[in-house]
Amino acid sequence: MNNINDYNIRPRDVADKSSKDSLRKAIKLALDVESDALGINTRSFNSKRYNAVKAIDDYDELKNQAREIKESAIENLPALIKQVTKTVETRGGKVFLAKTKEDAVGYIKDVCLSHSAKLVVKAKSITSEEIGLNHILENAGIEVAETDLAEFILQVSNEQPSHIVAPAIHRSRERISELFKKHFNTELPLETGEELTEFARNILRNKFLSADIGISGANLIAAEEGTILLVESEGNIRLTTQLPAVHIAVAGIEKIIPSKKDFGTFIELLAASGTGQQLTSYTNILEPPLELPVLNLNGRTDERREFHLVLVDNGRMNMREDEGLKEALYCIRCSACMNVCANFQTVGGHAFGGECYTGGIGGAWTVGTSGELKKGRFAELCTGCSRCIPNCPVRIDIPGLNTVIKNRLIKSGEPSLQKRFFGNFSKMAKPASLLPKISNWAASLSFNRELFEKILGFDKRRKIPEFAERTLTSLYKEHTRNSRQAENGNDVKTKIVLFADVFTQYNNAQAGMSIIKVYEGLGLNITISKVMEDGRAAQSQGLIESAKKSAVKAAKYLEKLIDEGSEIVFAEPSVLAMVRFDYAKLINDGKLFTKLKQHTFDAVEYLNKLSEDAVIDLQDICKNHTQNEVSIFYHGHCQMKSIGIGSVVPVFFRKLGFAVNESTAECCGMAGSFGYKKDYYDLSKRVGKYLGEEIIQGSPEVILASGTSCREQISGELNREVLHPIEFLEKFL
Amino acid sequence: MEDSSYPELVEHFVQAAQIAAATVEVVNRDAQSLNYALVKNTVDDKEVILSLPVDLSSALFSVFMNNKKVITEPSKEQFANIKTGITDAFCGIASTGSVCVPMTNGLSSPASMLTRKHIVVVDAQTIIPRPRDVFSEKYLSGKGLKRSFSFITGPSATADMGPLVRGVHGPEKLHIIVIEG
Repeated sequence: MNNINDYNIRPRDVADKSSKDSLRKAIKLALDVESDALGINTRSFNSKRYNAVKAIDDYDELKNQAREIKESAIENLPALIKQVTKTVETRGGKVFLAKTKEDAVGYIKDVCLSHSAKLVVKAKSITSEEIGLNHILENAGIEVAETDLAEFILQVSNEQPSHIVAPAIHRSRERISELFKKHFNTELPLETGEELTEFARNILRNKFLSADIGISGANLIAAEEGTILLVESEGNIRLTTQLPAVHIAVAGIEKIIPSKKDFGTFIELLAASGTGQQLTSYTNILEPPLELPVLNLNGRTDERREFHLVLVDNGRMNMREDEGLKEALYCIRCSACMNVCANFQTVGGHAFGGECYTGGIGGAWTVGTSGELKKGRFAELCTGCSRCIPNCPVRIDIPGLNTVIKNRLIKSGEPSLQKRFFGNFSKMAKPASLLPKISNWAASLSFNRELFEKILGFDKRRKIPEFAERTLTSLYKEHTRNSRQAENGNDVKTKIVLFADVFTQYNNAQAGMSIIKVYEGLGLNITISKVMEDGRAAQSQGLIESAKKSAVKAAKYLEKLIDEGSEIVFAEPSVLAMVRFDYAKLINDGKLFTKLKQHTFDAVEYLNKLSEDAVIDLQDICKNHTQNEVSIFYHGHCQMKSIGIGSVVPVFFRKLGFAVNESTAECCGMAGSFGYKKDYYDLSKRVGKYLGEEIIQGSPEVILASGTSCREQISGELNREVLHPIEFLEKFL
Repeated sequence: MEDSSYPELVEHFVQAAQIAAATVEVVNRDAQSLNYALVKNTVDDKEVILSLPVDLSSALFSVFMNNKKVITEPSKEQFANIKTGITDAFCGIASTGSVCVPMTNGLSSPASMLTRKHIVVVDAQTIIPRPRDVFSEKYLSGKGLKRSFSFITGPSATADMGPLVRGVHGPEKLHIIVIEG
C-alpha cells in the first residue's frame, strides 16, 4: 500500500465523517500532505472561472434561466421521469428507476452478467461512487477500469475523490509519479505530465479495445427527447459511450430537465463555472442507443447497440420534500463552490467532504443520499463566508444548506457549549465588558486559556478577543457631550444612523467611533442606534431559531428608523450582509427585506455614494494629506464581495488618490468565530498564511480590512497594525 | 457575437479555434482546393480513415477520394492503428472555435476519437455565433436538435497529471479546414 504519511491514515479511512475524530484526522492529513497541490489547482480553476464568466455577456441572465429551469424541473420531477422513460424506451433503450443504491447496483450487475461481461470501462461518475458500483461489480468477478485519468489515479491509490470535477486534484505530479512507479513497478520514465499521461493512455486504450460494456454518468438528461449531455476533456466519455456495444448511463433523477432546448442555457455556464473554459474539449449530446455501426474491436459479435438508463433516487425524492435540503437538487455539479472556497482550497474534499460528495454543496448531498445526518459533519467547515453563492451558476444558498445541517446536528443532541458560547456572544459580552480590564486580564491568564480550550474548544494559541476599554455607546455619549458637532447637524441633511452591532459595541468601539468622527467631519448628521443583536453569531453556529428571533427584532427596529427618514450605515460587513442577504430567508417578509436592502450601507459604500451624488466633496478629505506617498493593501471582506460591494473600498480610496493593492484571497480564514475553534485553528491559520504572504509581497505601508475578524487574522499573522478603512480616513480629518 | 456578420463570424471562429489549440485553414469551395489541403495535412500518413461526409457535398471530396492512402471501410486492425481520421462537421461555433461532429451515421465517431489526429472539414456558411444556438430552431434549420453529436473544441486534453497535456484518449491534434466561397 502506498505509504502517504507518518500516521498511516489514508483518506478512505476518514471519508466517513460521522465521528469528530475522523474530521480532525482528515484535516490534519490534508494539511500535511495535500494542501499545496490543492491550493495551486483550485486557485487556478478559480481565476480561470472569473475570466470565463466575464466572457459570457449575459452571464447573470443565463444564471437566472438556469435556476428557473432547475426549480421547475424538480417541481415536475415525477412527470419528467415518466416522460424520459417513455422517450428512451420508444427509441429502443431501457430505463430503470432505482429507489435505492442497492437497486441501482443490482440492476447494473444483472445487465453485466447477462452479457457475460469480463471487463467494464467506466467514465467518471460521482453517482456511481455514491452507489458503490465498482465494489459490487468486482465482487461479481467483473473487472472495472476507470478511464478518466483522475479516476484512474484514484483507483490505483484506493482513494475517494477529493473534488467532484477533478477527483485527484489533491495529488501533485510528483505524488502521481511516485504512486505509479511503485504500483506498476516499472522502469519507464514517469516524470513529466506527458510521460504519465501516455503511460495511462496506453493501459486504458487496451481496456477500451477489449471492454464489453461502457458505463457513464450524465450531466443532464432532456426528458422530451431522451437526450443525455456529457461534458469532458479527455475523450474517455466518447470512447466509453461509443466503443462497446452496450452503454449504461447512471444518473441521479435530479439531472432530468424538460427539453434539449434547455441544454443551450447550461452548456456555456457549466464549462465556464467548472474548469473556467468556454467549452471543454468534448461536449457530447447523445441519444442512445446510437445509430452507429458496432465495431466489435474486442472480438465480440454483438450486432446491435444496447442502452440502459439507470435513474437513481437513493434519497433524492426525500430531499425534494425536505425544505431544508431541497435546494441542493438544483446543483449541476460544476464545482465552482469548491474552487472559490478558501477552506476547500486549503484542505480539499478529503477533509471538506464525505465518501463521494465534496465541498460546501457536499454536506447536503452526503446527508441526503446517505440518510445519515452525522456523515454531513464536515458542513462545519463551511464558515458561511458566502463566496460560493454569487459564483454558483444556479445561485444555491450553500451556506444556508450547511446552517441547516449544523442546526440539525445540534438538535440531534450533539452537545456543544462552544456553539452556545459563540452563538450567544452578546449575553456574555455585556457583563464582561462592564469590567473590561478584569475580563481581558482574566482571559489572558494561561490557566484560563487552558480552561477556554478544554471547556469551549477555544484554541489557546489564539488571542482571545479583547473587550474594548469603553463600549461604543459610552464613547459616543462622552463624544456628544464634548462636541457640538452633533447638535449643529443640519436638519436638511439626511439623518444617518450607525448600527451598533454587538461586536462593534463591546470589542471594536474604536472603529465605530471613527465612523462617527469622519462622518461628522464631513458635515454629515450621524447618530448611533440602540445596541442590537443581529443574528449573525447565532446563524454561523447553526442556531437558526435564535438567529430568526434576533433578525425579526432587528429588522423591525431598522424599519422604524428608515421610516423616520434615516439611512443606516454599518461598521461590520458580516452584519450588513446579514441584513442585505440572509434576512430574505430569516424575516420572511419580502417588502420589508427590499426596504432594508435599499437603506443599509457599508460605511465606505455610503461615503462613496454621497460623493457620487455630490453631497460631499472628496477634496475635504484630500486636503490634509499627501496621499500619493502612501501605498495601501486592502483585503476585501468575503461577504461584502458576495453582496456585490467588494470593490467599493478600493474604488473610493483610489478616487482619493491612494495606490491600492487588493488581495485575491477569497476569505481571511478567521471567519468570525471559526478560527478560534481548536479543531479548526490550524486550517484557519493556513488560510491566513496565504493571505499574509500575498500582503507581504505587495510591501504596503498601510493594511486595511473592513471585517473585524479579517483584521485580527491579518494582524495575528503579520504582527502589524490593520485598520478599518474609516479608521485610516480619520487620520486625515 | 449574436449580431456579427458572416465574415466576422468566420474570423471569430478561426481565432477562437486557435485559442483552443486547434490549427485552422480556410480553403476555396472546390474539390481541388480541398484535396490540396488534405494531402498537405496527411503528408506523413501512409493511410488515413475518411468518414464519408454526412453534411457536406461528397463532390468536394471527389479528388481526395482517389488518393491511395484513403480508407473508407477500415478493418478492425486499421481502426485500432490508423493515426489520422477525416470527418466533416455540420457546423462551427464562432465564440468557442468548436466544430459539431455527428456521432451517428457512418464512421465520424471512431474516426474522430480513436485517432491521434483529427482533420475536420466545415462549411463557413454553417458557422453560428454561440454554442447555445445549436439548440435553437433559428439556426441550421434546427439540424442540431435532431441528432447525436459532439461539440469538439480543440484537441483532447487533461490536467489530471499536473500540467496541461494534449492528446489523452482522443486526438492530440485537431486541424480544421473551413470551406469558403
